[in-house]
Amino acid sequence: MIQIYLCDDEESVRHQLRTALEWKICMEDYDMKVVCAVSTAQELLEAVEDNSRSIYFLDVDLRDGEWDGFTLGRELRRRDPHGTLAYITSYGDLAWKTFQYHLEAFDYIVKDGEQTGAAVARCLEAVHTRLLHERRDPTEIFSLRTGEETRHVPLSDILFFETAPKSHHVFLHTADSRLDFLGNLNELESELGGRFVRVHRAYLAAWDKIEAVDWKEGRVRVGGRECLLSRAGKTRLKKK
Amino acid sequence: MDVLSLFLSGFQEFSFGHIALVIYLYVIMDERGCRMLKKLPVLVFSPALASLIHVSLYNVFKVSGLVLYVVISVANVLMCTLWVRWGWRIGIGRALAAVCMAGVFQMAASVLSARLFSLPAADEDLQFMMVTGIYFTVVLGTAVLLQRKRFGSWFQLLLEEDDPHRIALLLSAMLVSMEVFFQLRVGIGSEYQLYYYMLVLVFAALLAVSVIHLAQRLDAVRKIETQREVIARQQLYEQELEAIRREARAFRHDYKNILAGLSAQAGAGELDALLTSLADLGAGFDQRVGEKIRMSTQIGNLRIPQVRGILLSKMAAMGEKGVDCRLEAIYPVERLGMDIWDFVRCLGILLDNSAEAALETKTPWVEVIVLAERNRLSLRVSNPYVGTIDPDKIWLEGYSTKGEGRGLGLPGYQRILADCPGVSCSTSWAAGIFVQELTVEDRL
Repeated sequence: MIQIYLCDDEESVRHQLRTALEWKICMEDYDMKVVCAVSTAQELLEAVEDNSRSIYFLDVDLRDGEWDGFTLGRELRRRDPHGTLAYITSYGDLAWKTFQYHLEAFDYIVKDGEQTGAAVARCLEAVHTRLLHERRDPTEIFSLRTGEETRHVPLSDILFFETAPKSHHVFLHTADSRLDFLGNLNELESELGGRFVRVHRAYLAAWDKIEAVDWKEGRVRVGGRECLLSRAGKTRLKKK
Repeated sequence: MDVLSLFLSGFQEFSFGHIALVIYLYVIMDERGCRMLKKLPVLVFSPALASLIHVSLYNVFKVSGLVLYVVISVANVLMCTLWVRWGWRIGIGRALAAVCMAGVFQMAASVLSARLFSLPAADEDLQFMMVTGIYFTVVLGTAVLLQRKRFGSWFQLLLEEDDPHRIALLLSAMLVSMEVFFQLRVGIGSEYQLYYYMLVLVFAALLAVSVIHLAQRLDAVRKIETQREVIARQQLYEQELEAIRREARAFRHDYKNILAGLSAQAGAGELDALLTSLADLGAGFDQRVGEKIRMSTQIGNLRIPQVRGILLSKMAAMGEKGVDCRLEAIYPVERLGMDIWDFVRCLGILLDNSAEAALETKTPWVEVIVLAERNRLSLRVSNPYVGTIDPDKIWLEGYSTKGEGRGLGLPGYQRILADCPGVSCSTSWAAGIFVQELTVEDRL
């Protein structure tokens, strides 16, 4: 069962949301339950279970000591990386993109009197659809940390890792991005095991993405991109 | 046989000169990697051509002395300039300027070795080895010294800021006078030899110092210009705030009238009309002041004047061109984990690139998200683009989707960040949106 948490400092809003959510769950027979509706961040954090993949409805304009909507979202992301965050706001002028990119927030709902309940129900439906579609195995995801933020990249999207010109930095290449993070290829090689092969001192390529090998020139084509191939890399490739 | 040995000895001599030249070029072009080593073999053509000219002119046309020297020098400079232009993919003016600069240094070193050769010696082979050793020690020593003084980056800055052709002209004049100096050494009496060397060294050193000085002054001027712009934008920003204040006052005035109207409606029991009026009230406020307040709060959160200045000015420029620019900065940005001017330059490059790419789309927009957290600052600039992106090439110097002379941005951006610890930059180009992310970790 998927747990739903609510956090808003207005009693009436909490009540409205809870009723709307419970009604929707009952109508659609979702395997979900509103387990907690509180007014402060502290109470919410005490109630939350780590890694429970829950759904959270949070007030953006929450003011509770060091906590506000964003920092609370950050903390929840840390404790429950695969949970779903949805925000409730009184104003339409929310800095939504910041929440979307940095917290991977799912949606936001503008408080709009009677309409709020319907909006929350629609949001829950969208969450439900997404959860049905995205039953990804957590081991299939590569997580890279840059300070406070953790990024998730599906392992199957990764073409290769490359040592960056800056020391201790590694580039992760996918078909449409190049991500820079702190790390080193030796650790990645042992961490990722057999799915990747060290074709060169500076390159760690995904086995299933290797398209062609140019033995003479010492190059490998990985997902349409070119990597260098060293002598040791050649022996490793030939073994398979 | 005689011709061949003449060719070979000429080739050896010219090669030494070229090696020294390449060492200085490495410093002058501010090159760190080994990329250029791969292109080095091509340069062999230059000493080969020089010795070929030497042999053919000397043997066939019986040309000698000054004319021969001039022809060979010009050929050398030309070949090297073409090589630099090809190798570093820069304009001919910049290449010529770099070669002339390297040439001046190399000549100064040559004058020294030429003098040593003219000293009487018992063993010619030993003398040759000694002199060659001293020559390269001097070359490497001065190259390291120049590198320490960051001569290369200053020189590059000078080339970027000023007209490269003018600098190339000036430096080639310097090179010619250096060559004249070199020729004059023959006629100098032995009692003045010491002064002659001093003069040559002082000349080369003065040139190096003045290049650095000029570049530093240019840099200072540029900083002052940016500061001026920052101040000008600051005033605009204050005017904007003043406009919001006036708007809010006017609204407060209206507010009373509206409230009076509302209570009249409530008193009369017209519930539907009351609800409509209330909705209008909310929408009216959002429309009139809400958006402006939102924008100014976000901009106001950028507490570093330089950063705010560049954002305001770039956003104003985008607005004029019809690019819709959105900014989000939910927390105050008060300090940076990197040099402020480096950050400002990066921001400038990213915003310029974004605006340029966005303009090619039907609905151009640029989105800037700045997020300041405890020990971390993250900047995200995104824009839509048309066409395809070749991920193997976008980071290379001189590459651009728009042809020659453009696209200097991204490599320049990388060059700035290469010296900044704790900074990482990611790029993505999924679904027609190009995203650049810059993260600065503040490790105290």
